[in-house]
Amino acid sequence: MFDLALADYFAWLRSFFEYVSERETSIMLRESQYVMPWVFVLHVISMCMFAGTILMMDLRLLGVGNMATPFSQVQRRLFPWQMAAMFFSAATGLALVWGNPMNYVTNIIFWVKMLAMGIAGLNAIAFHFITEYTLVDWDAGETPPFGAKLAGGLSILLWANVIVAGRLIPYALTWFRTY
Amino acid sequence: MYEYFVQIAQWGPSRAINESSWIFALVQAFHLVSLGFLAGSLLMVDLRLLGRGFSQQPLAVVARDARPWLIGSLVAMVATGVPQFISLATKEYDSPYFRWKMLMLLIALIFTFTIRKRVAYAPEGRFGGGISKAVALVSLGLWTSVAINGRLIGFFS
Repeated sequence: MFDLALADYFAWLRSFFEYVSERETSIMLRESQYVMPWVFVLHVISMCMFAGTILMMDLRLLGVGNMATPFSQVQRRLFPWQMAAMFFSAATGLALVWGNPMNYVTNIIFWVKMLAMGIAGLNAIAFHFITEYTLVDWDAGETPPFGAKLAGGLSILLWANVIVAGRLIPYALTWFRTY
Repeated sequence: MYEYFVQIAQWGPSRAINESSWIFALVQAFHLVSLGFLAGSLLMVDLRLLGRGFSQQPLAVVARDARPWLIGSLVAMVATGVPQFISLATKEYDSPYFRWKMLMLLIALIFTFTIRKRVAYAPEGRFGGGISKAVALVSLGLWTSVAINGRLIGFFS
């Protein structure tokens, strides 16, 4: 057991989550017996589409998968699916938190997930502004440069972290004492 | 039949998983990571069949690239699925969603490694656009239903 007094450091965050939990829509979601499980189902399905299309692009960056296709085509053809899936994952994820905000605000594993998502986003942006400039040199090549491998490898690790943390959120209640 | 499930739940590994506070949780988590890879390797071929994927390459080339990841993620799914099943065998026996999942999984596996494989590796132009799209939609539908029933096992049983 660990004592994590997160709420002391993030009092404003807690009051915001409390505010949300008192909204009528939040109460409705919380009290509905069947809506929440189906939102979880939709969250998993959108995760499949998002992680699937992201991971396949990462494997290409690492130089270990989808090598018959130039990276620029992998990226261009998967981008609309990644964005659509990100939208649905975010919408269903938001609904899950909206319906039970007090389950998440002091949940350390939930915040690990949010942090990993943020870093994964920064990794994607860094790749876009740095390594992608050299794309013409290695687009169809068998061995992507170190920068591309780094971006792909980090992306796989970070998104796997997001998925693992996401699944472990409910276990935080038994693993950690939070208040 | 039920006695077998009771026996499975009493195996040493099953009890070890149940007695641990974290093994089951971690196995579940990596089942989902494997699901991400499985979904990706399925989508590469199904999107291509729908005309939305890596359309500059012949379908068979895209399918060959996806194949090791499809097989690998299926192996990982089974490796992380079996421990969950044996530790909850008696509960799974009663769950209609577990039964549906296994049925849909069987159909999805047969479809993927017969009809879908045949269409994916056929010479370019052998099957028309209508057949390709139908195969992609059936594949996505079957695998989605496996995932949906899998998630529902945890909620309503």
